[in-house]
Amino acid sequence: MLKVVEETKKAFLTGNETIAWAALAAGADIMFGYPITPQNEVMHYWTRLAPKYGRDFLQTEDEISAGFTVCGAVQAGKKAFTATAGPGNVLMQEPFGMAEAMRLPIFAVIQQRGGPSSGTVVYSQQEVALTTYGGNGEGFRIVYSTATHQEIYDYTIKGFNVAWKYRWPTFLLGDGYQAKMREPLEMYDPEERGIKLEPTYPLVGLPGKIGEDREPQHLCNIYSLEEELYDVVTRLAAEYEKIVPELIEWQEHSCEDADIIILTHGIVSRAADDAVKALRAQGIKAGYFRPITLRPYPAQQLREAIAKSGAKKLLIAESSYGQFERLTKQEIYGETIKIETLYMPGVGIVDYDIINKVKSVL
Amino acid sequence: MVCRSNGRCQDTQPVSARVVEAYIGEYASGKSEMAINRALELKSQGRQVTLVDLDTVEPFYTLRPLKEFLEQQGLTVIGLSKPDSFGLGETGAMLAPAARWALRREGDVIFDVGYGVYGARTLNLVEDAESSAELRVIAVINYSRPMTGSKARIIEYIKELGRVDALVANTHLGDETTLEIIEEGTRIIIECAEEMGIPVDYIAVDKKFSGKWNPDLFPVPVKWITRYMPAAMW
Repeated sequence: MLKVVEETKKAFLTGNETIAWAALAAGADIMFGYPITPQNEVMHYWTRLAPKYGRDFLQTEDEISAGFTVCGAVQAGKKAFTATAGPGNVLMQEPFGMAEAMRLPIFAVIQQRGGPSSGTVVYSQQEVALTTYGGNGEGFRIVYSTATHQEIYDYTIKGFNVAWKYRWPTFLLGDGYQAKMREPLEMYDPEERGIKLEPTYPLVGLPGKIGEDREPQHLCNIYSLEEELYDVVTRLAAEYEKIVPELIEWQEHSCEDADIIILTHGIVSRAADDAVKALRAQGIKAGYFRPITLRPYPAQQLREAIAKSGAKKLLIAESSYGQFERLTKQEIYGETIKIETLYMPGVGIVDYDIINKVKSVL
Repeated sequence: MVCRSNGRCQDTQPVSARVVEAYIGEYASGKSEMAINRALELKSQGRQVTLVDLDTVEPFYTLRPLKEFLEQQGLTVIGLSKPDSFGLGETGAMLAPAARWALRREGDVIFDVGYGVYGARTLNLVEDAESSAELRVIAVINYSRPMTGSKARIIEYIKELGRVDALVANTHLGDETTLEIIEEGTRIIIECAEEMGIPVDYIAVDKKFSGKWNPDLFPVPVKWITRYMPAAMW
């Protein structure tokens, strides 16, 4: 078998291409997918590269099928993934819900695009609600919102590992800009870096006689008694909540003495980082807080940042119309800090957008 | 303008000849940047230049954000502008119709052939491209791109492209480019070109290195590149 990353070195890639290489490096066996902008090059690069490394690809008839085939492949013990966006993410909510119910270790890349509806292919951050809490269920998912191509590489590898370690559906949440833009990152072989690749194993068709050699493997997503569903969802919730502290990831700086904390996620946090540095240089005490995991949300950490700073205001900036704000509010219910918002659905946010907003509210 | 190791600079073509070049290459290899720099270079020599956006997949994501700026520099740009595409939705993902007739314009014509894998085959959308004696198909290679990150991969990739008349050595790492990175990539690309019998037209180097570059390192001229594409935002 050819080695995927022959030597650790800096390379110049687009975000979509980064996902394909990282999935190869993570040992992914197969991608199932259906074309949709802006994730297309994940498939393009995967299909160009996969045959060289003995990996597989299947283009399914639609996204519902792509999601369910991933659910099937992981039950057969294959490290499988998909990538989609917008209406594809809508269609995949059914299989994603199945993965929540059956604790299937699926990994999906979401390159957010604009909405509502089907045909808008451009950048946006409007799939936050869908990716964290979509579907008919309780949002038992793990969602990483990346900001750089290095993070895309790192969290794709991590995403497969987390999915297989904890057995919850795991997502990498990017966007149209991250998909298309290009920047340097370090490509590496995870095992050479001491990152253990979680072993995969079949969930069905196990050896041994049920009742004698082993317990039955009860992978179920259909419950016909209300009380049974109550037991199952309550158990799933407890299992999910137990691992939350191990999963939470966030970044913060300059919050200690901040008068205003700027809260962003994903690519917008790059603008927030620049804005905080520029504001500080002008003597304005701004702080930076960014959840990396949107699900589970670093609620306690954000509460602590607010408490230690004594900040009077929290500015939430997002390329959507309040999805991230609503997610945040439910997580920090009871905080009395005044929330200001900068909603720019479909539009990129740059440092001076945030700087101007901060100056207008302070 | 090409500057050689003896410090002399000269035009790459006699002023009288029409320049017709199509920049092809791997996705994100630097095709648009090379095409823009080449078009502006020719314009600065007082020539009439048309720059054609021939990205068949994502015309929204290529030269569009820079179109107005490039027109202000005196270029004729065939491509969609924001008002052209506003309100079109996915149906707006199309070529500017004038691209088909670009070769029948007067003056120099530079094509930015988007989206990589189909190489020069996309030129079949342009009238006269096949019969044109003036057209040169130039493949842009960045050694820092993983798909063209080794000698074997570069050769394999160029073979997949179909017609290639020349290469441009465009190794860089964005803001993290160093002279060593450019030199290593250039050395490998020139080795590939020699092996394949394809000329290297020039080495593209960010102009910020202009005082530091050793012109005797390679027997290929350098073009100093201004990076315009980062201003495209996405």
